[in-house]
Amino acid sequence: MQTWDMDLEELKEPATESGEKLKTELLTVNMGPQHPATHGVLRVEIKTDSEIVAKAIPHIGYLHRCMEKHAESIDYRGVIPFVDRLDYLAAMSQELTYSMAVEKMLGTEVPRRAIVIRTIVSELQRIASHLMAFGTYALDLGAFSPFLYAFDEREKILRFFEEISGARLLYNYFWIGGVWTDITDQQVDYIINFLNGFEKELVKYDKLVSQNRIFQERTMHVGTLSLEDAHSFGATGPVLRGSGQAWDLRKVNPYLCYDELDFEVPIGEGQRGSTVGDCYNRYYVRMLEMVESVKLVRQAIKLLEPGPIIGKVSKVIKLPKGEIYMRTECPRGELGVHLVSDGDKTPYRVKIKSPCFTHTSILPHIAPGQMIADFVASIGSIDIVLGEVDR
Amino acid sequence: MHNEIISLINSKVSNANATLINPPEDGAGDSSILINPESVFETMKCLLNSKFNALQVISGVDYTEYLEVCYMLANFDPKDHREAIIKTRLTDRDNPTLDSICSLSLAANWQERECYDMIGVKFNNHPDHRRILCPDDWEGFPLRKDYKVQEVYRGMEVNPEAKMNRDDQLFENQKQTGNEEELLRKALERGL
Amino acid sequence: MEERLTFFGYFRNIYTAVKTSVIGMWITFRYVWGKKPVTIEYPEVREVLPESSRSRLYNDVMNCISCNMCAISCPVDCIYISSIDRPKDLEIPKCDDGTPKRKVLTQYTIDTALCCYCGLCTTVCPTECLTHTTDYEYSQYEVEDMKYDYLTDELIAWRDRLVKA
Repeated sequence: MQTWDMDLEELKEPATESGEKLKTELLTVNMGPQHPATHGVLRVEIKTDSEIVAKAIPHIGYLHRCMEKHAESIDYRGVIPFVDRLDYLAAMSQELTYSMAVEKMLGTEVPRRAIVIRTIVSELQRIASHLMAFGTYALDLGAFSPFLYAFDEREKILRFFEEISGARLLYNYFWIGGVWTDITDQQVDYIINFLNGFEKELVKYDKLVSQNRIFQERTMHVGTLSLEDAHSFGATGPVLRGSGQAWDLRKVNPYLCYDELDFEVPIGEGQRGSTVGDCYNRYYVRMLEMVESVKLVRQAIKLLEPGPIIGKVSKVIKLPKGEIYMRTECPRGELGVHLVSDGDKTPYRVKIKSPCFTHTSILPHIAPGQMIADFVASIGSIDIVLGEVDR
Repeated sequence: MHNEIISLINSKVSNANATLINPPEDGAGDSSILINPESVFETMKCLLNSKFNALQVISGVDYTEYLEVCYMLANFDPKDHREAIIKTRLTDRDNPTLDSICSLSLAANWQERECYDMIGVKFNNHPDHRRILCPDDWEGFPLRKDYKVQEVYRGMEVNPEAKMNRDDQLFENQKQTGNEEELLRKALERGL
Repeated sequence: MEERLTFFGYFRNIYTAVKTSVIGMWITFRYVWGKKPVTIEYPEVREVLPESSRSRLYNDVMNCISCNMCAISCPVDCIYISSIDRPKDLEIPKCDDGTPKRKVLTQYTIDTALCCYCGLCTTVCPTECLTHTTDYEYSQYEVEDMKYDYLTDELIAWRDRLVKA
C-alpha cells in the first residue's frame, strides 16, 4: 500500500537568532470523513504549517456504490432510480441527462407538454439545489439562520415534487419518453404562488448574507481560481461562471425548450469589490442563477398546453448499437452520460461524468496558502455532493 | 467538423493515423475519432493547444477484444463551441499502457487515476499514479467484463453469504417446505 | 487584489460590519412574530402525505395473477413471488377487473429493507393490485422482520389502514 510521503522540501526552516535552524514539521490534520464542513464523506488530508495549509490531499471513495458496474446488469428503465442517487440534492437533473441520452439513441420524440414540464421541474430543482448550497454555505461560515430560511423555501419545492412524483428526494419522475404524471392547474397555481413569495425571500437573503460585511470578509479574495485554470480543470457550472466565463449549455447548445425562453447567464465579474473567481463570486453566481430560474419557470408555465405527456416507447427497451455522450447543465455543473450500447436490453457501459468529481480535483490546487477556516469556505463554495463524486 | 480535426491531427502528428468512426449502420449515436495509442500525447498536445481548451472526461470501455479509452474534449467558449470524442484502442489486456497527459491538462490527473482504477489502463509519467475510488490494495479492475470480486480483503469476507440477496424472485421458505400439494391446498383454502 | 488598509478604512470596515449585521439581525428578529413555525411535533402531530406519495407497498393478493412482472422490473430484486399452476380440474377464478387467475399464488413477500421505493413495480402491474400506500410507520427492530409476507392474515387485515382512501 502506498502512503503519502512527507514532502520535506516544502518545510519552512526558520533560523533562530544564533543561526541554528529549528526543526519544524508539517502537521497533518485529517478533515473528515465525518465532518459537517466537508458536505458528506470527503476526507481531506491537510498538511499545515501553523494555520496555513501547505498541501491538501482529498481522499474520495467512501460513498462508492459501484453504480456504473451495477447499471450494466439492469434494464434501461431500472437505471433511473440509481441515477437519482448520484446527486441526491438534484435528482431531477440527473434523470434528465440519462433519459435524454437514451431517447436520443432510440430516436424517441418527447411530447411538447412533457418537454415544458421537464423544463419547469428542472429549473425548480435548480432553485432547490442552490438553496441547499446557499444554506449550508452560510452554515459553514457560522451563520445559522439562513440555513433554516433556505430549508423552509426548499421544503415548498419538495412538497410540489412529492405531489407530482410521490417522493421527496429520489423521484424517478422523468421516464424514457416523457414524464410520469401530469401536473394539474392547482399545482401550477401553487408554483406561481411560491415564486411570488420566493422573490421576496431572495431580496431578504441578499440583505442577510450577501451584503453582510462579515460574510464578505470571509469569502472575498479567498480560493481564487483563474479562468485559465478553470478551463484546464474542465470546470463547468457556477465554478466556471464564477471565474468569469459566460458558458451555459442552456444558452450555447439549447435542449428542452430553453431556446424559446429569455434568460441571462450570470457570471462573476468581481461584484462588490471581490476578485473574479473567488468564493464570493461562485456563491453570488448561484444567487443570481436563482433569479434567472424564477424567470425561466414563469415563462415556461405560459408555454404549457394540453397534450400527451409520454411518447411512444416499446415495453422492453432495446437500444441500437453505438455510443453517445450527452451532457446537460445541472445545478452543480455539466453532467455527462457516456452510454455504450451493444443492442441488448441492458447498457454495455454507463460512464457518468460528474461535475463534482471535476470540482473536487480543484481543491488541492486552490488550497495551498490558505488558512484552514478559508479552506472550509473553499469547499463550501464549490458545492460538492459526495454521492456524485464517488458514484 | 470531424474531418477538419482529423486532417489537423494527421498533418501535425505523423503516426496518429486518425480515422473517423461513424455509428454502425443499424445503430445510432455519436461519431468519434480513432487514433493510435502511441500518439495520444502528441495528439492531445496538438488539440488542446489549438481547437479545444478543456478535457471533460476520460472514459474507459472494455470490449473484451480490446480496451477503449475515450477522451471527451470540449471548447468552453460560447462563440466557438465544439466537442469531440477522441478514442484509442489497446489490444494488450494484461499490460495496457498509455502516455499520461497530466502536463497538458490539470483535469487529466484525477481522470486518469479513475481510468486506472476502473479499467486498469496504466499511464506513463503520471505524477500520482494511485487508485482513486477503490482502496489502494484492492485487486482487479471492477469495470472489466471478466472481473471477479476478490473473496477476502484484509481478513474480511467480501460479500458474505448472509448479506447477499440470492433468492431472486423465489422465497427461501418454499424451498425448505417444498411440499407443493400442501402449499396448493393452503392457498386454495384462502380462496386465492 | 485587496486594497491596502487605511486608517479610515479600518473604521469604515467596522462601521459596515456593524451596520450590515444589524440589518441581518433585524430580519431574523422579525421572525419572532408574524411567522408560524414550519416544523411539526411528530408523534403528536402526524404529517399527512400527498395521495401520490410513494411509501409502503401493499399487494392486494386476491387480485394478483402471479405474472411476475413486478419482480422482473424491480431493479434491486426485493420482491419474492412464487406460484403453482392451477390444477386443470378446478374452475379459474377472476380478479375484480375480470382478468383470469391461471396460477395459484403461494408466496408474495417484499423485503422493504431492500426496496428503493422507485415505483417501477406498481407501474407494470396489469391488474393494479400492487400499490404504494401513504403509510410510513413500519419500523422494526430486526432486519429480518422487514420482509413482509402479504399472504399473512395480519397484513390482509391491515388493508383498510394501508390502502389509499
